[in-house]
Amino acid sequence: MGPITSAPGFPVWLDLLIAFLIGIGFGFSLEQAGFSSSRKLAGMFYGYDTTVLKVFFTAAIVALIGSQFLSYFGLLNLNLVFVNEYYVTASIVGGVIMGAGFIMGGFCPGTGVSAMSIGKIDALFYVLGGLAGAFLFAETYPLIQPLADNAYRGPVKINDVFGISPGLFTLLLVIAAAGMFWVAELAEKKFARPDITGEI
Amino acid sequence: MNARQILTTILLLLGLILAFLPLSGNYSFHGKPGKLLVETLDENTYCTPDQVARFVVTEDSTMQLIDLRTADEFESFSIPGAINIPYSSMLSQNLESYLDRDVKNIFYANGDYLANYALVLARGLGFQNNMVMKGGLNEWYRTVMNSEFTGERISARENALFETRRKAEKMFTELNSLPDSLKARYRESKEIERKKLDGGCE
Amino acid sequence: MKTKYMNPYLAGTLLGLVLLSAMYISGRGLGASGGLKYCVVSVVGAVDKPHAEKSVYYSKYFEEGQKPLFNWLTMIIFGVLAGGFVSGAVSKRLQFKIEKSPGISNTRRLIFAFIGGAFFVYGAQLARGCTSGAALSGMAVLSVAGFVTMITIFGSAYLFAWFFRKNWI
Repeated sequence: MGPITSAPGFPVWLDLLIAFLIGIGFGFSLEQAGFSSSRKLAGMFYGYDTTVLKVFFTAAIVALIGSQFLSYFGLLNLNLVFVNEYYVTASIVGGVIMGAGFIMGGFCPGTGVSAMSIGKIDALFYVLGGLAGAFLFAETYPLIQPLADNAYRGPVKINDVFGISPGLFTLLLVIAAAGMFWVAELAEKKFARPDITGEI
Repeated sequence: MNARQILTTILLLLGLILAFLPLSGNYSFHGKPGKLLVETLDENTYCTPDQVARFVVTEDSTMQLIDLRTADEFESFSIPGAINIPYSSMLSQNLESYLDRDVKNIFYANGDYLANYALVLARGLGFQNNMVMKGGLNEWYRTVMNSEFTGERISARENALFETRRKAEKMFTELNSLPDSLKARYRESKEIERKKLDGGCE
Repeated sequence: MKTKYMNPYLAGTLLGLVLLSAMYISGRGLGASGGLKYCVVSVVGAVDKPHAEKSVYYSKYFEEGQKPLFNWLTMIIFGVLAGGFVSGAVSKRLQFKIEKSPGISNTRRLIFAFIGGAFFVYGAQLARGCTSGAALSGMAVLSVAGFVTMITIFGSAYLFAWFFRKNWI
């Protein structure tokens, strides 16, 4: 029963090798989707390219549905899968800062590294900036620590907040995503920029 | 039909199935009668209130007390560190989340019988790592809470036993005399400590 | 002549399967900003060990002789580097290039890329995850933190979009 590496005595080097392989799949999918282009990513926020929305939600939903079915058939123990812990203030403030960084830089770390690997110089500068940002955070950590640790709520799940089953929430999410995809395709037609989409 | 329509239709169908699937998958009672018979008579399946008192006092995190009484009874008093799974709702909960972990679960209730039934159910469904506190809370009160210092201290071991009982009694009284909000906070923090998994992007 | 990008829904499904395999095999989701952080930590540790051991932040990565470079998240980031390269090679998209709106200079784009990167990873460390680690993986396990992070990132980017439009369109 999964997760496979939760078996006692699982060799660490194998765990790291698996991470590397999964990373290859990750980088490959990102680049194939076109996320190695910052103008394509930024297009989400100007309307001419909504690939980000489609890929993001499709990926999250596929993994969500897949993991629940694996759990139902006893192949994966979902209690042993990490659930992000919720720190209210830190999530929101960090999210706002990330949004600004996204629209300025045009990448997120995963896509930035994948773009850097195919030669995009702006991605290289993005990753360098990213390292600087991590360094800045590490050095100034005592200043921001109270905010970072504020309002800890533990690994809360969203379906528990609404009091519904995970399966039902998944269904609602799929319906919402279907709606968003439809709107996204309309938006692409309305805000189309053939000059940009032609060359990215 | 274009890609979007195909994809959303497939996902909608799968989502519909998930929404109506019973949550807890398939639990089947596959305990072998012979094995269960032997296990429930094995002495190692039972621990005394004194042993539980020692776990409580040393805050032993390899043990988890499970209180099988109703929520109201649990709110009015409970053994420090215990979580509440009312017997009647044992099976409707996500069993693995509390039965399938690295810790040893110790069932208790007011007397003996609920804890014994819970043990048989748990063992039968395939979960090991569980025990029963013999005598339940009645025995806990008799030996730990109402322990009396009778005459001279005879041996070091009896001395230590008495100390443990006294400490456990203190912890019990302290926890259960807290106002409800603080009690809840104490339990929450215990709950959060349990679930330390590896992951995230930190 | 470069190949067209994969259909977004297909790419999304592929990415979802990668995430699912991470969950099934290792019991965790993907992550990217964490890998960058560990690179920084290991460099700091190599260059200035006493500083690292004194600091509240760095010391926890060097407990018990751990090597920050050999961490699940750094391996993922190395894999992303390799995987992106493979994909670029297969689809003939390997090319040195700076992407920006034709209306601004290269320098401006690179400066913004650097600043954007700094902002983003700083925010990601604060929120304990980036779009892959918190938002994507978080949504796949139904965590509230995942949804909140995703909504704030996208919402905030939309809010700031108008101010930076010259860079892109």
